[in-house]
Amino acid sequence: MDERDPLIDRAIETLRESVRLDPGLDRRVMEEVERAPAPRVGARRWWSAWEWLRRGRTVTVSPLGGLAAAAALAALLLMGRWGAAWVEDTAAPTEVLEAATVQFVLVAPGASMVTVVGDFNDWVATATPLRQASGDGMWTVTVPLPPGRYRYGFLVDGTEWVRDPSTPPALDDDFGRPNSVVTVRG
Amino acid sequence: MVRTESDAALVRRVLGGDTGAYAGLVARYRDRLGRYAVRMLGNAADAEEAVQDAFVRGYRSLVRCVPPERFGAWLFAILVNRCRTIGAQRARRERTVVLEEAAVERASVGHTAADTAWRDAIAWALAQLTTEQREAFVLKYVEELSYEEMSELTGAGVSALKMRVARAREELRHLLSEELHG
Repeated sequence: MDERDPLIDRAIETLRESVRLDPGLDRRVMEEVERAPAPRVGARRWWSAWEWLRRGRTVTVSPLGGLAAAAALAALLLMGRWGAAWVEDTAAPTEVLEAATVQFVLVAPGASMVTVVGDFNDWVATATPLRQASGDGMWTVTVPLPPGRYRYGFLVDGTEWVRDPSTPPALDDDFGRPNSVVTVRG
Repeated sequence: MVRTESDAALVRRVLGGDTGAYAGLVARYRDRLGRYAVRMLGNAADAEEAVQDAFVRGYRSLVRCVPPERFGAWLFAILVNRCRTIGAQRARRERTVVLEEAAVERASVGHTAADTAWRDAIAWALAQLTTEQREAFVLKYVEELSYEEMSELTGAGVSALKMRVARAREELRHLLSEELHG
């Protein structure tokens, strides 16, 4: 497939040459950047979540739901590296959730660190670490979330970005990285 | 002594409120982004629009650059998407992909007529490929990414990408031979 071909090789060599862009491009970018809102790193969303939770509500876990969740966990374990976000009273991973507490799960045998990063923690890489309960490669964390739509992904060992394959990709994401979406209903 | 700050340090400075630090990132990546955009879109005006969009979108979403050490790859992914979007918009406007005259003029500086004809032929041939083939070919051979990196960037599977690259090579070989030798 990648056999040598003098014509193609010559074309590639030419295409690798640098191009000249308008020297004013940098200035135009910075002018637009100066006008744009500053990218924020903050806890506004967490504060909103806390305020919402303080209003008080009950999340119930039904026996049937628990059994189904256990079955889902077993299925995930069989599938090797796999991730899922669900709530305690939801039988199977789904993109639309109806409770305050969302559990994120990633099966990542061999990983030394896993975090979940998304809209709900302002994409701070270290804000929400997952924990491995018994060395079986299953990493979990439970996150309180107010109603809303959240894009997220998993960061393995601080470098490898993993989309949650059990939830739909964020089709409106324009940032290249494959993200997932979870929606929490009010 | 020349001291070069890492991408991560510059990203952290920007997130800390030093907007001017973003200029360092713009200067560092403009050429690489510009080359990809020109190869994908075929003209300087659209390429500059894509690059500018990518930088501005990158700035607005900088908190999502995780980890900040990967700023370059993260920004490049934004550009790849911008090129797709702008390319699709242009296709809807039914504009013909041609080398912009100004770009030809700039590219021609210091080149012989034969060089210029060769460059025109490559730009023309590249523009005849499907967007997916062109993207795969440029990522593989111009940006020198691995198939795994390309897969992460485009969302396409490795097998599909290998097929696109192979077809792009075949098509380019055919088009260039025909263009150069009649």
